[in-house]
Amino acid sequence: MFHNSSHKKYWLFDSEDTVEQLRCKANMKFRNKVLSSGKPGVSESLFLERHEEDVLFRHYERRLLDFCNAFKPVMPKSVVGTAIMYFRRFYLNNSLMEYHPRIIMLTCAYLSCKVDEFNVSSGQFVGNLLQETPAGQEKVVEQILEYELLLIQQLNFHLVVHNPYRPMEGLLIDLKTRYPPLENPESLRKSADDFLTRAAMTDAGLLFPPSQIALTAILGSASRAGLNMESYLTECMGLKEDKETLSQLYDSMRRIKSLIKKYELPKPEEVNVYKQKLERIQAEFTTSSNNKRKRGYEDDGHVAKEPRMTEEEWTDEDLL
Amino acid sequence: MEQYSILGRIGEGAHGIVFKAKHMETGETVALKKVALRRLEDGIPNQALREIKALQEIEDNQHVVKLKDVFPHGTGFVLVFDFMLSDLSEVIRNSERPLTPAQVKGYMVMLLKGVAFLHHNNIMHRDLKPANLLISSSGHLKIADFGLARLFSQQPERLYSHQVATRWYRAPELLYGARKYDEGVDLWAVGCIFGELLNSSPLFPGENDIEQLCCVLRVLGTPNQDVWPEIVELPDYNKITFKENPAIPLEEIVPDTSPQAVHLLYQFLVYPSRQRCSASQALLHPFFFCAPLPAHHSELPIPQRGGRPPRQRLQPPPTDFSVDLPLEDSLVDPALLRRHASCF
Repeated sequence: MFHNSSHKKYWLFDSEDTVEQLRCKANMKFRNKVLSSGKPGVSESLFLERHEEDVLFRHYERRLLDFCNAFKPVMPKSVVGTAIMYFRRFYLNNSLMEYHPRIIMLTCAYLSCKVDEFNVSSGQFVGNLLQETPAGQEKVVEQILEYELLLIQQLNFHLVVHNPYRPMEGLLIDLKTRYPPLENPESLRKSADDFLTRAAMTDAGLLFPPSQIALTAILGSASRAGLNMESYLTECMGLKEDKETLSQLYDSMRRIKSLIKKYELPKPEEVNVYKQKLERIQAEFTTSSNNKRKRGYEDDGHVAKEPRMTEEEWTDEDLL
Repeated sequence: MEQYSILGRIGEGAHGIVFKAKHMETGETVALKKVALRRLEDGIPNQALREIKALQEIEDNQHVVKLKDVFPHGTGFVLVFDFMLSDLSEVIRNSERPLTPAQVKGYMVMLLKGVAFLHHNNIMHRDLKPANLLISSSGHLKIADFGLARLFSQQPERLYSHQVATRWYRAPELLYGARKYDEGVDLWAVGCIFGELLNSSPLFPGENDIEQLCCVLRVLGTPNQDVWPEIVELPDYNKITFKENPAIPLEEIVPDTSPQAVHLLYQFLVYPSRQRCSASQALLHPFFFCAPLPAHHSELPIPQRGGRPPRQRLQPPPTDFSVDLPLEDSLVDPALLRRHASCF
């Protein structure tokens, strides 16, 4: 249940600013780490600015969505929603410069499948990377498994994500049973669904409970169809007398809508420039997490595997 | 990991070794379940994910084991639980006399409270059995091992695996290969555990899956569409046919038991899952309100107090107090504390 979930307790933030501050901090942390490492040839201009990170983030988030939507067998919506939310949560406290989003996004999707009991084997999973050779796919599996532990740790072992899809079903049922003024609640579904897909690509899920996002989707869909559903809130939800809650609710809905309105697709030319920057940073300053995992194996008395292939050997163009 | 000093090995669980340890800062004794990522091909095992998932999302309950912490360690991670002295299978095995009716009631109340709490939180445990019901040093029963637990009713059309639950406690619909089922599988297991408490031996000890079904059918009678309409939809229904036989009254299966106990047992051991009595409803059954009343947890046997040392204490923990041991042997190595000393 949402009210005692880790989602509500640890992953809802009070404002857009709080969320942005976390991301700035992660960006700073990475810069400081590199600067203090004393490597020669480091200059501030090398790093990605926050807004540049943001462009790349949106680019890879799109790719994640495309990958999930093209997945065979068809991935349930909740699995897709959870994967995207993992991706967002991960990069709240980590800079894109530190961990390359192309592998993190796949790791998010892979973990989401497992957590949501959408059972696909690792082989089946990377089988969806159609451009990859079997050997390439195998490499991706190795990388995913390498990053899985990091991901789950960065998620603070909070694995359950509450998506707005179920609340939306609930609201539709409620409308059908308790709100006769609306003749055909099902007619709201299509546009509300689109709204939820777009909301998933914003910070809405980090700021608002899923039920409010779903409600915004339904009411928005109704108003686009020229229907006023205010009486649903005042009468059916019993908010007529509770002016304060009602105005808070309107405020939340307004903020959710404006988040979605503000969303811009990343521009391809920008993406390309920042990507090159990212590749350079990755090549020069980040150490693969390989070592950590390998060391762990030796600790446990396992034989260390052959050194893994370096990341440069496949680019994300090969992925989809 | 540095926060804990290992006191000994408790056992080997489904996904790793379990250690007894002391949290150095608080002095609390805990059980550390180490999940190593050994089988590389699919990464973090589903069982470990399910356990974390179920236990992270629920509030504390007296009758459900508490996940105190999770942290990464080496190539895997460690789950931290309250340390528990024993489990119900040991209680049943080690009790010299059968449990008294009051004691059986005491255990059933705690079990049902735990199950009611889980079901209220939309969690199916799917592997209830005496070995997963841990007993604390104060005699409290706590449900553990959520490696098969599932959050249910997420999507009604989702199929579940029928290869769940330890065979003796597996509900008949699972034995017939059902892929859609509900929390009734836990209530069947509750019935089996109840019978086992009454008899001090398992109710349906099948040696293999087919024989398991025979055991159940022998007692409940061969099912047909009249008593169990859904049976015709179950995948394996037509694959096996059994000789017609009538049900045996449960009074004969659990002899020398009060009529209320038999009545309650009937509420769990029925074919259609929907007809099984919910845990919260069962708690209101007259069985629990007539003499002898459920035993207080302090009146329940804790195997350690009985003669034989239980499995969990193969090696005496080094910090146990003994008048013959030099005092310094019972102290935590100061070297282990040094790195934390600055915190104080």
